[in-house]
Amino acid sequence: MELVTIAVSAMLVNNFILSRFLGICPFLGVSKKVETATGMTMAVAFVMTLASIMTYIVQIAVLNPLELEFLQTIAFILIIASLVQFVEMFIKKASPTLYEALGVYLPLITTNCAVLGLTLLNIQEKFNLIETIVHSVFAAIGFGLAIILFAGIRERLALADVPESLEGFPIALITAGLMSIAFLGFAGLV
Amino acid sequence: MKIFKTLKNGIIDENPIFIQLLGMCPTLAVTTSAINGVAMGLATTTVVVASNLFISIFRKVIPDKIRIPSYIIIVATFVTLIGMFMNAYAISLYESLGLFIPLIVVNCLILGRAESFASKNKPTISIFDGIGMGLGFTIALTILGIVREILGAGSIFGLQLFGESFKPAIIMILPPGAFLALGLLIGLLNYVQKQKKSEA
Amino acid sequence: MREIIKIGLILLLIASIAAVVLGLSNGITNPVIEEVEMEKSQEARAEVLPEADEFQIVELDDVPAGITEVYEGLVGDEIVGFAIKTATVGYGGNVEVITGISSEGEITGMKVVGHEETPGLGANATTAEFQDQYKGKSAESEIGVVKSTPSNENDIQAITGATITSDAVTKGVNLVIELFNNTLDI
Repeated sequence: MELVTIAVSAMLVNNFILSRFLGICPFLGVSKKVETATGMTMAVAFVMTLASIMTYIVQIAVLNPLELEFLQTIAFILIIASLVQFVEMFIKKASPTLYEALGVYLPLITTNCAVLGLTLLNIQEKFNLIETIVHSVFAAIGFGLAIILFAGIRERLALADVPESLEGFPIALITAGLMSIAFLGFAGLV
Repeated sequence: MKIFKTLKNGIIDENPIFIQLLGMCPTLAVTTSAINGVAMGLATTTVVVASNLFISIFRKVIPDKIRIPSYIIIVATFVTLIGMFMNAYAISLYESLGLFIPLIVVNCLILGRAESFASKNKPTISIFDGIGMGLGFTIALTILGIVREILGAGSIFGLQLFGESFKPAIIMILPPGAFLALGLLIGLLNYVQKQKKSEA
Repeated sequence: MREIIKIGLILLLIASIAAVVLGLSNGITNPVIEEVEMEKSQEARAEVLPEADEFQIVELDDVPAGITEVYEGLVGDEIVGFAIKTATVGYGGNVEVITGISSEGEITGMKVVGHEETPGLGANATTAEFQDQYKGKSAESEIGVVKSTPSNENDIQAITGATITSDAVTKGVNLVIELFNNTLDI
């Protein structure tokens, strides 16, 4: 596949949140303010790209030659969990300001299915290393696009007069549904 | 009595989807049909029961500092096992659930139960907690699957309900339909609960 | 320091137990999975080329992109046709199709064996109604996709709302026609 196709498909057509349903927890959880949504996106993008590269290398260099493909899930989730720990410690030492901005989101990323989903998809689609990196970066941008736009809508929605029963999560889900309809329009791009 | 209460707690009082809003990704992604909802629910139930049991048995052996990585390994092991057996004996379900089988690992419901229940309680009651939560999850997924399948494909568990002239609203089995259906369902539940409260 | 080693060892122990358990069950399920997959492909081949009694894999030196498996269908020693598997890009991912083509150059059947298309739209490519359209088409010209009832003999009607999927399936069948005309036609 061409790199441009991969990029457009990962970012818009098969948007991780609105079409693949990966990473719904942070999408609903930290999207009340644009500011926090942006912070979460940065942290996720960082981990996604690193995790994709590492899991790719482990798959090619360890699991495939040893015929241990059945350990894929367990290996990938452990890589992601330790990566998150490591990144947290590193950022804490290297840049306390960045740590303050991202700190609270980092532990949440381990159980973010967007990260594990992405690493599994990279292998499933038989991407090479460059395609893997492009796919990860643009998937992260697509993730950010959806979550930041959504946060913008929710900021305004907070002031709107919503039927009592629909307040909170229900209206958020319905809003997400409408956004998802809008994203369906990108389908013809690839 | 305690067992019954634990079960009811998982299925109704603290329903993972409708009340706690946990495990949203598989909920939205696989409920394009009722049968997929049931299959995903049962697979998740098996994992949560098995991991609850094991974590509860070894809760005193696992050092506190490494409990999360240990839980992750235990959960991932059961998920992989389920995946293998589904691939071997139920291939069509395996194919339609696809990526979301390995992703059961990161279903917050499972690690959540491990951390908040199984790590503090005895094995027997942990099993029932798993069954209750799993069934609550399964029931919610099935309801969502049924609603979406009826509206989006005009069928239920694959059986056509209406005649030729019925034009299903395909949007309901497309991604947006997942968000809309779940949002409206939770809204409806809120409404019913409010009515009950005002009557009481 | 001591504590770290102890904790590390415990974690290692848990991980090794997990790996052993998975290794054992992989040993049990893997043969079953392979058998199921083989049976599935075998059934699909028999369905698209019913005339043949048995199938034999053909190794080609220079396989065009998109063609994944070529089988020849035999009755006794005579080749009566081919069952060829293709993978083309659809809407959600790869669309895998097995096409049967007789030695006379007639499409004897087509079956979508793997896809990630949208349920209710692209996924309708697996219905008999759609797949049967390909039956009886000739390999003399390419198959085209139209949105209304086809007027041309070698056209098929696209699935409503799923043109991309219909195109992907048709591309697979056309690859087979091309391969048949260029390489297999003796």
